[in-house]
Amino acid sequence: MTNLVQAEALWQVKTLSDRTVEAIPDSPWLATGFFLLGIISVGALVAGLGLVLIYLERKIAAHFQCRLGPMRVGWHGLLQTVADTIKLLLKEDIIPERADKLMHLMAPFLSLLATVLVLVVIPYSPILQIADVNIGVLYVSAVGGFGILGILVAGWSSNNKWSLLGAMRAGAQIMSYEISATLALLTVVLFAGTLKLSGVVQSQADGWWIWRAHGIGLVAFMIFLIASVAEINRTPFDIAEGESELTGGFHTEYSGMRFAFFFLSEFVNMFVAAAITATLFLGGWMPFHIGGLHGFNAIMDIIPPVIWFLGKTGFLIFLIMWFRWTFPRLRVDQLMKLEWKILLPIGFVNLVVAAVAVLFDVYFFPRN
Amino acid sequence: MNDTDIATQEMKGADAGPAGAGGLVLSPAERKHGFVFRVLGGLLSLLQGMAVTLKYFLRPWTVVTRQYPENRATLKMYERFRSNLVMTHDQDGFHNCTACGICQTACPNASINVVTAKDAAGKRFLRNYVWRMDACTFCNACVQACPFGAIAMGGNFENAVYDRRLLTYSLNRYSGPPANALRKVVDPAERQKLMVPCSPYADCQAPADAATNTGDQ
Repeated sequence: MTNLVQAEALWQVKTLSDRTVEAIPDSPWLATGFFLLGIISVGALVAGLGLVLIYLERKIAAHFQCRLGPMRVGWHGLLQTVADTIKLLLKEDIIPERADKLMHLMAPFLSLLATVLVLVVIPYSPILQIADVNIGVLYVSAVGGFGILGILVAGWSSNNKWSLLGAMRAGAQIMSYEISATLALLTVVLFAGTLKLSGVVQSQADGWWIWRAHGIGLVAFMIFLIASVAEINRTPFDIAEGESELTGGFHTEYSGMRFAFFFLSEFVNMFVAAAITATLFLGGWMPFHIGGLHGFNAIMDIIPPVIWFLGKTGFLIFLIMWFRWTFPRLRVDQLMKLEWKILLPIGFVNLVVAAVAVLFDVYFFPRN
Repeated sequence: MNDTDIATQEMKGADAGPAGAGGLVLSPAERKHGFVFRVLGGLLSLLQGMAVTLKYFLRPWTVVTRQYPENRATLKMYERFRSNLVMTHDQDGFHNCTACGICQTACPNASINVVTAKDAAGKRFLRNYVWRMDACTFCNACVQACPFGAIAMGGNFENAVYDRRLLTYSLNRYSGPPANALRKVVDPAERQKLMVPCSPYADCQAPADAATNTGDQ
């Protein structure tokens, strides 16, 4: 119990929304300032992630394939993404003649909106979090599933059979994998005893859930990682785009700026998936702790939490990119088989085992 | 055997065959050990694949990309790279071309034109070996067809020009008889008289007492 108290004193969470609420009675202007800061920082995060992740993806992909990647624009191609963005902004924005104009215009923004909404609740560090909703895990899984709407709307409104096929595939895929992801989420919720994302992080003060739970956490982590990769439509689960079959899938008819938005949301989605996985299974911003070893824990605490968070998320992003440049794309039936015949049974069994483990406190470093 | 029997047999065959368990191709070991073995085996093979890609990722020296204009001084083309046709000349400046025209016949798109001339004795020799790069597909058929090894494929790939007429080359450096005929001539002055120097873009002059005929009759 002392451990718990210490950890909560050390890792006091103060979010931007808390600060806003505190500031309202004293100075409405300060509250407005905090509010604007939240909006601006999310916007900056989206833009920054787009620039950095697209560059990283291209470089990492190149080196997996014995290439160099962008090398010309800036030092080692650092400004390549900037140049590409300017090009995309200047390009003609084509709307197909028989397209549903309003929905066609709306789809990329819906797609981006879902990811931005998740960015709001991710705990980047104890003091860097915009809002800490008490149903965080539920919110993430609900809003994360909302991303499919953008893809479905894009596919439907394009008036193109390839787009529609891609969108329908994506729909079936995301709906299916949502189940496995949720089962894996529930495992962590059982262990942590809370739905609050910062609470989940604080519950890992004695050790991350991936290794503290005798393999249950590891299985849940793998299920969640696979399901997340499937939900963000990345190779090997990118049948929604399927260049070789669908000429680009749901974004076939998109060009210029709005194509860039789809592209951006894909990459921000990858960050979101990695960040949520890191938060739930790898302790989020919590440094690597081993319950009881206070000296070791104190050394680990020297590294600031935001570095821990970025390191874990960066590792997972690298892992997802590594998947992409290693595995071939699955066929639609194989995709469904993987979910319904393999991941789902394992997920259910794992959840039951996790419930038993929590009931009898059989994980490492139990809290009482 | 009636239709039902055949159908039953086919169904049994499908169950027992390699594509059993609903389309998944299973090894005998997998069919014996079932679900857990299949999942773990699949994970293991995925990890093996990831190890292969990681190996390349962690070894930057396996990168095959060349930074071309920057590394121009040190760039070495592969031996088998084919980007221009050359007529090989030995250290004395002699070539082996007897003007037989086999390469011209072998060329699928008529990019080679062997212009010959006859000396006073009526013997045919090479006047102009005309190669049109703009019509060439670098198929190597001429090099393989040549019985004397007189031509070869070179690696000089910087062939961009502003005028397509500059893509028609004369490959021989002199107009005259091949190396083995010239070696029989002992007197160097006499030898020089037989060899009229040639530049890549000029029409070679035949020695004064020779009769010319173009190769494309």
